[in-house]
Amino acid sequence: MARFNGRDRVLRAVNRQEPDVVPTMEIDIDQRVIDAIQPGLSYADFCDYMDLDAICYYDMKGKKYETVDEAKGIVRDEWGALRRFTRVSRTDPLPVEPAVKSPEDLNTLVRADPDLPSRYTEIEQAVRTYKGKRAIIATVLDPFTTVAEIIRGEVNLYVDMIERPDFVHEVNAIARDYHMRYVTNCIDIGVDAIWVTGDYAMTKGPMVSPTFTARFLTPGLKQIADYCHSRGVPCLKHTDGNIWPIFDLLVETGIDAIHPIDPAAGMDLGEAKEKYGDKVCLIGGVDCGALLSWGTTDDVRQAVKEAIRKAGKGGGYVCASSNTVHSGVKPDNYVEMIRAIREYGKYPLSFA
Amino acid sequence: MVGLNEISKGVVEGNANKVLAFTRAALDADVPAREILDQGLVPGIQKAGDLFEAGEYFLPELLVSGKAMSGALELLEPILARGDTPRIGRFVVGTVKDDVHDIGKNILIMMLKGNGWEITDLGVDISPEEFCSAVEKGDYDILGMSALLTMTVTGMVETIKALKAAGLRDRVKIMVGGAPVTQAWADQIGADGYAADAPEATKVAAALVRKP
Repeated sequence: MARFNGRDRVLRAVNRQEPDVVPTMEIDIDQRVIDAIQPGLSYADFCDYMDLDAICYYDMKGKKYETVDEAKGIVRDEWGALRRFTRVSRTDPLPVEPAVKSPEDLNTLVRADPDLPSRYTEIEQAVRTYKGKRAIIATVLDPFTTVAEIIRGEVNLYVDMIERPDFVHEVNAIARDYHMRYVTNCIDIGVDAIWVTGDYAMTKGPMVSPTFTARFLTPGLKQIADYCHSRGVPCLKHTDGNIWPIFDLLVETGIDAIHPIDPAAGMDLGEAKEKYGDKVCLIGGVDCGALLSWGTTDDVRQAVKEAIRKAGKGGGYVCASSNTVHSGVKPDNYVEMIRAIREYGKYPLSFA
Repeated sequence: MVGLNEISKGVVEGNANKVLAFTRAALDADVPAREILDQGLVPGIQKAGDLFEAGEYFLPELLVSGKAMSGALELLEPILARGDTPRIGRFVVGTVKDDVHDIGKNILIMMLKGNGWEITDLGVDISPEEFCSAVEKGDYDILGMSALLTMTVTGMVETIKALKAAGLRDRVKIMVGGAPVTQAWADQIGADGYAADAPEATKVAAALVRKP
C-alpha cells in the first residue's frame, strides 16, 4: 500500500477510507508529559517528534486574560467571565463565574473579538511549517459550551432552557456568530479540518434530553458543520460522556467524525463502529483514565490492539486517547500507545 | 394531609410558585414544618431524582425541581432550626484540590438538603489539610469529595492518607463521586461509598448512616 503523510492519513480516515496505517492525534498533550519524553518541546514540535498525524490548535490557548486575583489565579476572560488557573489547568483556566449572571446582563455583555490577529498566530505558523505534511486542525468550542461555561454558566443555562427558552436562543446566537467567524478565519488561513469541542454528556448520559439537545445544542454544531462542508473541510466533534441516547442527533448534524468514545462512560468502539461506522469516523477509545494513568505498558498495548480490532476495519478510525493526554498520563504509557498504533494499525489489518 | 401531595407534585414539576403557595398554606393550617418536609418536599425531590436516574429527567428538569424545593426549604429552615427535629445526619463536602468544578457537588447538596441532611459546603479546590481540619472541628457523619478531572482525583487519595495520618479516618464515612470516579476507584482508595450521580448519592449516604 502507498505510504501516506499524516494529513492524508487523517483525511482518509475522516472520510471513512483506509489509509496505510491507523492515524493518531491528540486534541491536547500536557506539557508535563511532553517534558518527560522530550524536554522543552512545544506541543507542535512534540507532535512532529512523535510523528503524530495531526496538530491541533484551540482558541483557548493564547487568549488574553485580565488578572483579577493573582494569588488565587483568578482572571477575567474576553467575555467578562471569571476563570481560574490551577495546578492542573495552567493554560486553560477553569470557569468560576459566568459573564451573564442575570438575563439583564446580556445587554452589557462584552463580545469577544473573533478577528483578533493574535488568535491566529500559532495556526498561521503551523500552516506555514506543516501544511501538506500533517493535518492542521483548528479546534473551536461548541457554541453551546461557550454559553454554558463562559457566557451564562451551566446551572443558569439549564434552568433557562425550561424557564426562558427564547433567551437561550438569543444567547446561543451570540456564541454562534463568534464561532462561525472564528471557523471562517481558520479555514481562510488553510486548516485541514475543524474540531468542535465541548461536552453534551456526562458519564451516565446526556446533560439535557434528546428534545433539548435537538432544540438548543445541535443547531449550532450543524451550522458549523454545514459551513465547513461548503468550504470542503471536514468537521469533527468532541464530546465526553455517554452519548448513546443522542448519537443519532449528532450524526444528523452532518459531522464527519466523533471523539472520544470514552469506555469509562459506557461507550464501546465496537458497538459504535457497528451502528455508526458507515456514517462517521470514530476517534479515540483508548482509556486515558485508569489505563493510561495507572496501567502497565502491556495493558496499553493490549488496549490499543483491541481498539484497532474493534474500529479499524475498513478505515474510518483514528486511534487516540479517550480525552486528552493529560498530566496524569504516564509518559511511558503514551510512548507505548503510539508504538502499538504503528505496529498493530498497518492496513490491511491482520487481525480485525 | 392538606396540600402535601401537591407540594410533592410541584417539586417534581419544578413549579416553584405552586410549591411555595402550598407550603405557605400548610404552615397557615398549622401543619408542622417537619411534616411538610418529610411528606411534601422529600418525596418530591426523591421522585425527581428517581426520574433522573431512570433517564427521564435530565439536568434542566432536576435543577428546576431543586429550585422549586429550595424556595420552600428557605421558608421551613428557620422553623426547623428552632425545633429539635433530628436530621438524617451531617454531611461535609468539597471539590478536591486544584479542581474548581462544582455543578455536581451543588446538585448533590441540593438533593441532600431536600432529603433532610445538614450540609457544610467547603467549596472548591479543597486541600487534604482543609478536609482534615473540617473533619476535626465538625461532628460529621460523612465526608464527600468531588472531582471532575482525571488529573485531580488523586486529591481523594491524598485526603484519605492525611485523615489516616491525623487519626481522623474513623470519625467519618467517606463518599466519592465525579466524572472520572468509579466504584473500583472508590474501593481501591478505601472510600466507604461511591455514587454515579447525586440522586444515587442520597441513597448511598442514607445507607451509610443507617443503624444496623
